[in-house]
Amino acid sequence: MTTDLDNDVRLHIYREFVAQGEPPTVAETASALAQREDEVAHAYRRLEHARVIVLAPGTLSVWMANPLCAYPSPFRVETPRGDFWGVCAWDALGIVSMLGGDGAVHTHCADCNESMTLRVEARELRGADAGGVFHVVVPPTQWWDNIAFT
Amino acid sequence: MLAFRSEAHVDRWLEQRRLPRGGSCSLEQLWRLADAWYAHRLAPDWRRYTPDEVERLFAELGLVGDFWRLRPAA
Repeated sequence: MTTDLDNDVRLHIYREFVAQGEPPTVAETASALAQREDEVAHAYRRLEHARVIVLAPGTLSVWMANPLCAYPSPFRVETPRGDFWGVCAWDALGIVSMLGGDGAVHTHCADCNESMTLRVEARELRGADAGGVFHVVVPPTQWWDNIAFT
Repeated sequence: MLAFRSEAHVDRWLEQRRLPRGGSCSLEQLWRLADAWYAHRLAPDWRRYTPDEVERLFAELGLVGDFWRLRPAA
């Protein structure tokens, strides 16, 4: 984390994303934290540079505050604190973890498109689909070269 | 970073796209990884894992081999 402001902005983004189901704009965060918009905009960019959040290309709109994703994806997550999108299988399960360890990920086998449900109860993976496989093409050293593809 | 019903489904998906095999693990391993990675993301004092910590975590979860290596082998 670069500054105290960055951490305050990070926490506001995540808390509002969870509470509202979508990330706050720069203006909303600036207002909530009683900060200047240009300072908060710089904080958004620093957080992206530090790979804490991902902004939609060419904008200051939060695309991902991992594990949360602002736009629909093939990974729908149900939790007692609300329903969310994860950008990948890892992040989708990460949402369940971040929000208490109970929930379900609804997705499809990337090959055959058959539906899969990954259910987590009290931080334990349950259910028939728990025997599936996770695969990533891109090695860890290159994940952030193109995080959307990864 | 996708989910598949089995390794056979991974192989077929890769073959159809002419992609090389990357890294795979069970969904149980993935859940353990996701839980370690994200459980504390909402905490005020959260910080990113260091490369050493990531390597230890991968090793603890059995994610070993060249694919999962973060740095060149010594």
